Amino acid sequence: MNQKKETEQLRIAAALLRITVGVIILVTWYENVTKGLYSADGLTGFFNWLFDAQNGNASSLGWYKAFLDTAVAPIAGPFAIFQMTAELIMGLALLLGGFTRFFGLAAMFFFANLFLSYFGGHEWIWVYVLLFMSALTIFLSKAGRHWGIDRRLAQTRGEPPYPVLW
Amino acid sequence: MNLQERAPLWPIAVSRILIGVLWLFSLRWKLPPDFAPAAGRGLMDWLQLEVQHAAFAFYGDFVAAVIIPNFTLFAWIIFLSELLVGLSLLTGTLTRLGGAVGALMAVNLGIGLLEVPGEWPWSYVMLALWQGTFAITGAGRMAGMDGWLREKVTAVPWLQWLT
Repeated sequence: MNQKKETEQLRIAAALLRITVGVIILVTWYENVTKGLYSADGLTGFFNWLFDAQNGNASSLGWYKAFLDTAVAPIAGPFAIFQMTAELIMGLALLLGGFTRFFGLAAMFFFANLFLSYFGGHEWIWVYVLLFMSALTIFLSKAGRHWGIDRRLAQTRGEPPYPVLW
Repeated sequence: MNLQERAPLWPIAVSRILIGVLWLFSLRWKLPPDFAPAAGRGLMDWLQLEVQHAAFAFYGDFVAAVIIPNFTLFAWIIFLSELLVGLSLLTGTLTRLGGAVGALMAVNLGIGLLEVPGEWPWSYVMLALWQGTFAITGAGRMAGMDGWLREKVTAVPWLQWLT
């Protein structure tokens, strides 16, 4: 197999990963909206469910629970609005391939936090490993430059002023 | 500028190794001879869940009529398939074959567990997509045995297809 064909396959693979992760974020976002997760009560209830050993996920990282309790729970209302907006923009950006490097990096941070939230509980933790690796690959491969808006940005504006943009 | 120039390919190799570990790690609750762990759900329990919560009637009927009555045979097939796919991806050996079989297994799991409470179907989409990526890109050529095999064993044509 020649180099050109291999490169094309890798570009397609990276683009498919980007589109799939974008769809997953958007579908989950919609489900969360309909469940009322993006509110102070919704978010606090979710944190409680995560670490509830009897009726919840039974997540085990005490230090992460302490972080959520002290840094996020007191501002649950504004944080829920931020979370709702950020997830929507991140999903759309990855789906459409716009500013993919920035949102790939944001997705890595997001999935790492979900991994820590669910770690040690009943949830199948491997999915967050897969999602994190997908976001890492999207970030490193500049996956928005194939089937994405970043291709147009790179053509019209050249390389970005900051390498984490597209 | 091509992808390999502008991005390192190590995330794909790392993902291959991680998914290899994932398959091997998942064997712990379906070990022979009884294909069940000391505590918790075993393979038979999961098959019964697939029947109880079948998203597609034909699939549930197939598991109930064919798989469960011949449980030992199919349990060995499942165990050995997952073991071989796990080893293939972990070591990067015949990765195109391992990735393709693993992707089909992930699709099968996704169909079977689609409606089972607590299961998240996107997990299996990600698993299938990644393994398809390994199959298409020949991911075992980086940090895997396939790179060595392709270089050393040039007289076997099918090996070039599977690595």
